[in-house]
Amino acid sequence: MTLIWGGLSLGAIYAIVAIGYNIVFISSKTFNFAHAQLTMVGAFVAYTGLVTWDLPVLVVVLMAAAAVAVIAAIEERIAIRPVGDMHNILVTTLGASILLDGIAQLTWGTQPLTVPFFAGDEAFTLLGGRAYPVELFLIAMAVLIVVALGIYSRRSLTGLALLGMAEDREAALLRGVNVRRMAFMAFVAAGALAGFVGMFVGSKTFAVSTLGAALALKGFVVLAIGGFGSMPGTLVGGTLVGLAEAYASRYLGGEYANLAVFLILITILMVRPAGLFVRTKERVV
Amino acid sequence: MKTRLFKVVGGLAGLALVAAGCAGEDSGSGGKDGEYRVLVLGGISAEGPLADNANTSVLSAKAGVELVNASGGIDGRTVKLEVLDDQADPTVAVTKLREAIAKGKPDLVLNSGPSTVADATLPILKQNNILSFNIGPTATSADPKANPLNFDLSASAQNQLDAFPPYFEEKGYAKVGILHGSSSYGEVYGAAAEKTFDGAGVDVVANEEYDVAALDMTAQLEAIRSKNPDVLVLDAYGAPLGYVLKGIEKLGWDVPIIGNTSVAATSLISTEPPSGVLGTPATKNLVMQVYTSTAAETSAPEVADLVARMKEIDDIPSTLIVAYNNDALALVQAAADEADSTDPKKLAEALLDTGVQQEAVTAVLGTYRFSADSHAANPGPEEFAFIAPGPLQDGQFH
Repeated sequence: MTLIWGGLSLGAIYAIVAIGYNIVFISSKTFNFAHAQLTMVGAFVAYTGLVTWDLPVLVVVLMAAAAVAVIAAIEERIAIRPVGDMHNILVTTLGASILLDGIAQLTWGTQPLTVPFFAGDEAFTLLGGRAYPVELFLIAMAVLIVVALGIYSRRSLTGLALLGMAEDREAALLRGVNVRRMAFMAFVAAGALAGFVGMFVGSKTFAVSTLGAALALKGFVVLAIGGFGSMPGTLVGGTLVGLAEAYASRYLGGEYANLAVFLILITILMVRPAGLFVRTKERVV
Repeated sequence: MKTRLFKVVGGLAGLALVAAGCAGEDSGSGGKDGEYRVLVLGGISAEGPLADNANTSVLSAKAGVELVNASGGIDGRTVKLEVLDDQADPTVAVTKLREAIAKGKPDLVLNSGPSTVADATLPILKQNNILSFNIGPTATSADPKANPLNFDLSASAQNQLDAFPPYFEEKGYAKVGILHGSSSYGEVYGAAAEKTFDGAGVDVVANEEYDVAALDMTAQLEAIRSKNPDVLVLDAYGAPLGYVLKGIEKLGWDVPIIGNTSVAATSLISTEPPSGVLGTPATKNLVMQVYTSTAAETSAPEVADLVARMKEIDDIPSTLIVAYNNDALALVQAAADEADSTDPKKLAEALLDTGVQQEAVTAVLGTYRFSADSHAANPGPEEFAFIAPGPLQDGQFH
């Protein structure tokens, strides 16, 4: 059971990164490859707030969310808006991710920094397995974010507008949706989410300048497994990737962990090319 | 007319060759009675630990120069130190080294950077017949056939591993589990550790690898725990060390852990909470392998002297494990006394003399044991200590 808790919590982190990818994808049909780095910055800001400045947890959470939202807004203005072509955006956001890695290294160094978790760092036994409080918190948080976003997208006007944009951007524009502004707001919201979760992710992984690179690829794999644009898909994808890594490391060896994950990805894409939760649409040509 | 032209050109070419030959005799720009020029390469403006290590290396070179000059210089020549910031980048290192040689050939080059810098600069040093010492080893840097004038100062993974079996025996560990990273060093370390321990009659019950980009090592730890080893030998640096310690604590596994020198180099374990884990339950079973010179309790008087000399110049930003340049200068001074010359070939020959190596007042390692077959440092088990983590102060663990 210890393996399952570990795998699920790691899967939850990947899923949270994939949710950030999805928010941007739904609103603008593009990927922000720097999203994992935004989560990393959130972890560093949390470290500064909690350890260096000794601020209350609530203040630090808000501070991290606001700081990363601002960084995301700047990224959108510099790396997204001036670039028209979607393929070029992949390159510019990748550039932004490298820039953020470098800034983090220069600001906080390359050594791992401990981000304390508000509910304690003592491992305990649950259902026959051992886990840290933050691991269970991450699992619960991933589920809650997906549920909350699901409700928001169906019950609020903004959510419906975003879904409309995802279906047909031009039709949404004709119905009076300020597509550009909505895409910007979605980008900033994804940044705020990355800052918010950064504190909890950092409690499990430390705040370290290699964190973004470690999360980016796995987050993308989770997205591909679940289906681009599907929020529940991120949970299923995260669970599969997290558990596959844990069990492959335990019974085959650490060198087979990535191999197992990509084997699952290839198998799923062969059976369902659009991912588990997204249907392939026919187009009239 | 044509024949005369050939004769003139031939004559000029001959003169040029003679001049070049004469220039080759000279051991450096300073000449026999001039200053002995030492060039130190280091990534002073690199990022994070690389910069700290480079600054410590340069500081040790400055301290070494002061000591050597105070005791008569090298073969009577005053040592002049020049520092080149290569940013730990091979391209920058090559450009700056070529520029420096063009201005005047140095007598000695101390390369404080990583292996990539050594790989790029060694061919230039060989081409110019310059004596050099190197911290980051490469595949051929210590091979006298490939680089006859270069000497490697750092201990190999094998040197470090050879110190483990006597410690196992002392502690009564008969069954060993190994956990190592997927980096090239980690893989070499894992394979060499298994071979060394097997050869020493120690039962290696598990040898597991983790991906250095992974965020959780609990699965590998559980696999090793299932084999019930007496002790866990760990190769880890940076965040992976934190994940391993968290994993062991999560499993509630009460096993002695011996970390290698990479573990000792991670600041997480030499820093108290809330930034680090020093003094927490995560480190209660951990000991780490260090040079005796980097442990305050076990170091020799020469080390205390080195620390004092370095502190007089500046603060010591990282461990003394990279303060080899002090020793390099002491070795060259002893070699020059023996050879009665500063000719690089004669110095290289003298450096192989065990008497010279013992005569040199070195601090980081007691004796380097260079040989005609290998110009790599070959420290014995007595040069290593296994200590509990402690705060890092003035380059030593306390």
